Amino acid sequence: MAKSSKKLAELVNRMPDPDGRGLYCTDIDKEKIESAIAEIHEGGRRNILGIIDMLVPPGKGDDVKAHYALHVLGLHVCKLDDDEPRRRFAKALASQLGGDRPKAVQAYLVQELQAFGGKEVVETLGRLLTDEELCQPAAMALVAIGDRAAEHLRSALPRARGKCRLTVVQNLGVVRDAASAYALREAVGDEDQAVRIAATWALGNIGEAGSVDLLLRTADKTNGWERIQATKACLLLAEKLLASGRKNAAVRIYTHLRNTRTDPAEHYVRDAAKSALAEAG
Amino acid sequence: MQKGKRITRRRFIKGSIGAAAAFTIVPRHVLGGRGNTPPSETFGGALIGCGGRGNGTFGGLGPNVRKLAQCDVKFLTKADNKEIYADYRRLLERKDIDVVAIATPPGWHALISIAAMEAGKDVLCEKPMTRFIAEGRAIVEAQNRYKRIFQIGTYGRFGASGDKNRVLTHKIMASGLLKNCKGVHRKRGGLKVREWSGMVNAQPQPIPKALDWDMYCGPAPLRPYHPHRFGGSHRGYWDYEGGGLADMGQHHFDPIQWTFAKDYTSPVEIEPYTPPAHPEAVAMWGWVEMKYADGLTFVFESNEWGKPYGRKVERGVGLDDLSDQNRKKIAEMPDPEPLVRFPEAIRTRKQPGGHAEAGHRCATLLHLANAAIRTGRKLRYDPVAEQIIGDEYANRLVNQPMRAPWHL
Repeated sequence: MAKSSKKLAELVNRMPDPDGRGLYCTDIDKEKIESAIAEIHEGGRRNILGIIDMLVPPGKGDDVKAHYALHVLGLHVCKLDDDEPRRRFAKALASQLGGDRPKAVQAYLVQELQAFGGKEVVETLGRLLTDEELCQPAAMALVAIGDRAAEHLRSALPRARGKCRLTVVQNLGVVRDAASAYALREAVGDEDQAVRIAATWALGNIGEAGSVDLLLRTADKTNGWERIQATKACLLLAEKLLASGRKNAAVRIYTHLRNTRTDPAEHYVRDAAKSALAEAG
Repeated sequence: MQKGKRITRRRFIKGSIGAAAAFTIVPRHVLGGRGNTPPSETFGGALIGCGGRGNGTFGGLGPNVRKLAQCDVKFLTKADNKEIYADYRRLLERKDIDVVAIATPPGWHALISIAAMEAGKDVLCEKPMTRFIAEGRAIVEAQNRYKRIFQIGTYGRFGASGDKNRVLTHKIMASGLLKNCKGVHRKRGGLKVREWSGMVNAQPQPIPKALDWDMYCGPAPLRPYHPHRFGGSHRGYWDYEGGGLADMGQHHFDPIQWTFAKDYTSPVEIEPYTPPAHPEAVAMWGWVEMKYADGLTFVFESNEWGKPYGRKVERGVGLDDLSDQNRKKIAEMPDPEPLVRFPEAIRTRKQPGGHAEAGHRCATLLHLANAAIRTGRKLRYDPVAEQIIGDEYANRLVNQPMRAPWHL
């Protein structure tokens, strides 16, 4: 064990040293890096966990080479013809989430899963959606992976609070989860303005006819930035409805905006609605 | 002129009987007189992002735009929400601002451009236009939805479109008569790779009181503060830009893209020569070769790392590439219309020369090159669907998730 740790440390140490300015710009030897990473890869899961053990939170030590080596290992497994090494790599990273490793280290592992993870890690990422420190990177990784992201976001919504709730609401819109439309309509009345705006946009992006009245009411009664964003959600909803063949519902939105945006400062909205009506035929 | 007494375009319209009529039937000389700017052509302007290129970018709005407000995340302690803002959303709520110049780091370009158009403003945005490909498409969609004027703040194409040799190349390429293009354009050096690389060992430091660091990070992950991530050297981090390639690339390729008539498409094959990339910091790379479907090749060469590019020799496109019959067709083709500059575009509502689609396609060159550098793999790209083909992990760089509450 000690021998393998020493060997791994020696391989990681072959990663470049930062130059005097802290950059990777001097003595960058592609072949040396790639051959060391190929050797690390041969060591399998034990070496992946060994590198993770070398990671520290920012400001708590020097992990420059381990930080880089883990990422290059991810690049390496993605280049191979067989997907199995990539899956093993991702599972090894996911196995270190949710425990007592420092949150900053876990956030880095989640970031790497955003780049290299697949459906094999979505369960684990889903569990982080209610973690105040990890919900944002976890949601970003989940929507990047895509597979079953909606299911996990939907499941987290009732338990998510504060920043996590905002993150979940927004990303339900990103993945266009129609099954969350009812919960999102409730969130349009949230006490947090950021959640209200995110829910309004999410409903526009999901594109269900059942959201038309609520979004038009919201756009009519709000002011300032919230009104601008609610109006955008209405226009987005109309486009989605048109694209899905719900022309009548789309026309209702455009007609309403054309008839109500009479203030000169909102003429551009009126014009956009008129133009869209003409295009819709 | 006294504050609050300025007559901007919107106030003029509001105060006139029949806004549309005022635009169309009142002759310019009646309102303005020789040497005077009529109120109908005076615009309220704002600058968002006040470091580095800020004032230069604002100058591109033209002489008839008056700066009413400015906004920067470093104004946290002096923002009065009247002339000085730290949050662009408050500034965009103002009804007397018609036009905004955006000179923030590029990680914010798309979101603020789109928000400005949603608020009814015209936009002049500093280059590079975006941080990743889907942002550019979202800007184009917003421009189409709101019928606003959008111009990317790089002007090389205006010069190129006045050069008769480049106009000839443009006509040949735009004609579609050249089926197997042998043209090769190589950008050798000048991409500031070392200059705009990121630190890999930056240690957290206290956030300056005047800086809204969370807002600065915006859609990117919230990282510990370090001054190298801020104020120009931000270019060295994937979170905010894409190194010297992204910073200088749009300058260089904007006129080249126009010359070769590629404003509405993108390369289909992208191949890099590079050491493995760092996950957060931009670092060294050698070259990237990019091929369009018709065979045209563009090459980025860093000249700062590794073996030089030696695959293809620089070669232009000319009449010699065509048959006699096709040469005659080119001779009969009219020259392209002169490109419209931003000040004229906001007055006439004509599409400007560096419109959103052109800027987006040029930024796509930079993002595809950087995607190839970041993955270290040869990529294939579908320029219609705007997706990397057959490489799920590389394709994640095309439309990158954003930190809430920010989204496209």
